[in-house]
Amino acid sequence: MDTLYLAWRYLAFHRVKTAILVAAITLIVFLPVGLRVIVDQSSRQLTARAEATPLVIGARGSPTELTLNTLYFSSDVPARTTYAAVSEVADTDLAQAIPMYVRFRVRGQPIVGTTLEYFGFRGLRLAEGRQIAVLGEAVLGSRAAEALGVGPGDHVISSPESVFDIAGVYPLRMPVVGVLEFSDSADDDAVFVDVKTAWVIEGLGHGHQDLSRPEAAAGVLRREGNVVVGNASVMQFNEITADNIDSFHFHGDLSDFPLTAVVVVPPDQRSSALLQGRYQTAELSQVVSPSEVMGELLGTILTVEKFVIAGAVTVGLATLATTFLVFALSLRLRRRERETLFKIGGSRAAVATVMTSEIVAVLAAGVLLALLLTFLTQRYGDVIIRALIR
Amino acid sequence: MMSRARAAAVALTFGIAACGGSAPESDADSGSEAPVAAAPEAADALVVYTTNYPLAYFAGRIGGARVRVEFPAPPEVDPAFWTPSAEVISAYQGADLILLNGAGYEGWVPKTSLPESKLVNTSAGFEELYVVAEDAVLHTHGPEGEHEHENVAFTTWLDPQLAIEHARAIRDVLAEQLPGAEAELQAGFEALEVDLTEIDGRLEAWAAGLAGQALLASHPVYQYMARRYELNLKSVHFEPDEAPPAGAWRDLAALMQGHSADWMLWEGRPLDETSARLAGDFGIGSVVFAPTGNRPASGDYLDAMRANVEALEALPAS
Repeated sequence: MDTLYLAWRYLAFHRVKTAILVAAITLIVFLPVGLRVIVDQSSRQLTARAEATPLVIGARGSPTELTLNTLYFSSDVPARTTYAAVSEVADTDLAQAIPMYVRFRVRGQPIVGTTLEYFGFRGLRLAEGRQIAVLGEAVLGSRAAEALGVGPGDHVISSPESVFDIAGVYPLRMPVVGVLEFSDSADDDAVFVDVKTAWVIEGLGHGHQDLSRPEAAAGVLRREGNVVVGNASVMQFNEITADNIDSFHFHGDLSDFPLTAVVVVPPDQRSSALLQGRYQTAELSQVVSPSEVMGELLGTILTVEKFVIAGAVTVGLATLATTFLVFALSLRLRRRERETLFKIGGSRAAVATVMTSEIVAVLAAGVLLALLLTFLTQRYGDVIIRALIR
Repeated sequence: MMSRARAAAVALTFGIAACGGSAPESDADSGSEAPVAAAPEAADALVVYTTNYPLAYFAGRIGGARVRVEFPAPPEVDPAFWTPSAEVISAYQGADLILLNGAGYEGWVPKTSLPESKLVNTSAGFEELYVVAEDAVLHTHGPEGEHEHENVAFTTWLDPQLAIEHARAIRDVLAEQLPGAEAELQAGFEALEVDLTEIDGRLEAWAAGLAGQALLASHPVYQYMARRYELNLKSVHFEPDEAPPAGAWRDLAALMQGHSADWMLWEGRPLDETSARLAGDFGIGSVVFAPTGNRPASGDYLDAMRANVEALEALPAS
């Protein structure tokens, strides 16, 4: 017992040296183990959402960009496909098609233009308020509501895509009618609107004064029979209300309107294979399997992880060697201390026990601390990963 | 799945037709929607929402106890110019099927969020037979340049043959949703077809007796009926419950110069002074032929249509 006390007193007296040694041991153990835990968790998270999304159709381009924008609403907007892609899939009678238009933002939170089918597909439920009912309304994910500090009854405003985009996208003021339950997914960060509302934000649909009415005379350039030509002063509405909703309309063929993707949900493997076959030779569009795309992405991550772990192990071994060198040098420096212990009656075994206890205590403390860090990584790694993926 | 999905795309395109068209009167805040009808149907009945009464009647006749049909428009509104409140739209969202008339009838649908996989445009099968309305207004502004949009006549069911096509589309989509009930649904459809064919036959016989006689309509809502029976029919814009303004009388006088009609078809009973002036100044009699877009005050769709036909059959030959 006295020997352990002596070891403890030595470590406590040289607390800085002890702390450095414990930290070194901790890092040697934790770096490869913690990295493994983080990679496992991120793989699980990424593949879970990808596996829950059978197929995604989009315009030809980067499959990774298409997948990340569709699944995680990333700010890199893929090449646009059109609404006709939804009808094409639906007409095959092979799958449900859910349009996605993820281009605009509300103060950094992604605006997801889609249809009600998306909520059923992802199993999203309302925590408060009601579902989108009318053009211009928004339902927020739980984190988006928290980040924007809004709830049912409040409003959010779409952000301009660029401060210099003066003639571009009009900001649309949208009432928040509902907030979704926390789903522990990218949906928590989204501002959901009807896809038609996203088109209104883009300016493809709009509401304005009725040009045939006398009060809109200032906005009329000329009248030619039953054609009324408006000028640039025609007042357009930047919020859809019960009073002006009837004036909102879309110009052009809606089948040509843009989408970033179409989420395709076939009922079985056979339908999925048939659909993928149909898009094999398509020149303008592509069908991707998010789980395959994420698998490839994770393959790259795992390759990088192997290099990182190899590096960590090499550094760890060097650090371990240095640690033992520190112990060895320390023992040499403490030669007079050992001699004193012998002179006051300490046996050789007792002195060896004191020295060994010191080394074991440092190693044990380092390993325990590494285990604690690993546990914390396992417990809170999801939060860190989500913050990184966002 | 296919027919409903097609309908979804069609439903979206309704929005284009709305551009430049007459703005529907919004009842969004009235909160006066009809209470959801009590349902004597089976507990697991398919919940079917419709946007006008003819579709509700057809769905009820075809689906019988297999369906619970809801038509939530308040009784006092014309469903063609109705905008449901958010609460009613939420009820539509909860339906198993939403039957649309199509032909631009539901001006509110493109401005709402309804589950597209549940939307069924029951006139999608005869889009090529849509009648283009004469009063389209075009407009142009902004960088997109000129936009031309046609208004389509939407009282398709007033041609009983097209009403049968609506019913056929309803039978087909119900059969998709209710596997095993095909025979039952077919029986309901055939019984309805017999009734609608009877109406068609009587109207055809009445029209044959007209021999091209000029007729007037108080509103342009009888386009499909006029085409089906080759009626020599022209329309004015008279409201049954309002005294026509001086301009409307002048328009009528001008119209009568080349279209000497003895009878005017009305959607509802006109004011006594209006019918008296029509008879006194123009020699025009009034007869009610209710389109029945909403529920009749008494009886059902078939009763209302039979009453319409009887009113026409009772007209004295000119």
